[in-house]
Amino acid sequence: MGPWGFVGLAYGIVWGVILLYAVSLKRRYQRAQAELAALQPAGRDEKK
Amino acid sequence: MAQGAEPVKKRRGILGALALAAIAVGLFWGLVVAPPDAYQGQVQRIMYLHLPSILTAYLSYFLVFIGSGMYLWKREKRDDILAHSAAEIGVLFTALTIIEGSIWGKPTWGVWWTWDARLTLTAILLLIYTGYLMLRALIEDESRAASAGAVLGIIGFLDIPLIHMSVYWWRTLHQPPSILQPNKPPWENVDPTMLIALAISFVGFLLLYFYLLSLRYRYGEMRCAIKARRLAQEN
Repeated sequence: MGPWGFVGLAYGIVWGVILLYAVSLKRRYQRAQAELAALQPAGRDEKK
Repeated sequence: MAQGAEPVKKRRGILGALALAAIAVGLFWGLVVAPPDAYQGQVQRIMYLHLPSILTAYLSYFLVFIGSGMYLWKREKRDDILAHSAAEIGVLFTALTIIEGSIWGKPTWGVWWTWDARLTLTAILLLIYTGYLMLRALIEDESRAASAGAVLGIIGFLDIPLIHMSVYWWRTLHQPPSILQPNKPPWENVDPTMLIALAISFVGFLLLYFYLLSLRYRYGEMRCAIKARRLAQEN
């Protein structure tokens, strides 16, 4: 592998993993939001 | 919707947009504008990821330390949520630092991994906080999990000064700091264009970190609210 190959590998892994984490966190967040809304007494809403 | 919810969401959106912009500029500066290193050539560009990610991880563990200390002192749930959230993101950035370092090490040192003092202590840091997350997941009683986590969160932080000083105390393969040297301004060692690339990249990592932390913290708050409501419904 050439020097740019190592650079590309490092940048690809880092931004790929961060993107995956951000997407999974957003999904967990949205699931919790929906779960909380379902448990909410009628007429009340939780802050986002 | 509760009062103040929309501004928080809006601020988080702005933070995310700023993070994306800073990351894009940092990528351009680090990969295009900054010159290659005189000795290491193009692979040195990994530094624009490596240094910001470990500094972000240190910041995260500092927040775990503060949150854990505050929780043990005041027993307030928000401090525990902060520590737990920061630990999760700290583990992410520590793992990335080790991966980047390994990829940088192969063309520079000829090996993907070596049991060098700094590398080993960083791997221990990752193990400590992965252990922290496992401990939190394994103990069912929330208050006990928070207390045990807080103790480990504080003890784990002691590894960071060891990591920092390891390149001075032991003969290591890992180079000593080239930017933050005592009695020498950074621009005497490093090309200013490289310093700008590093600074922009660091700002991008910081903004991204606070965006993720804000989202993870709110997620933690919601999980607590869900548990409390379920408990109230059961009783």
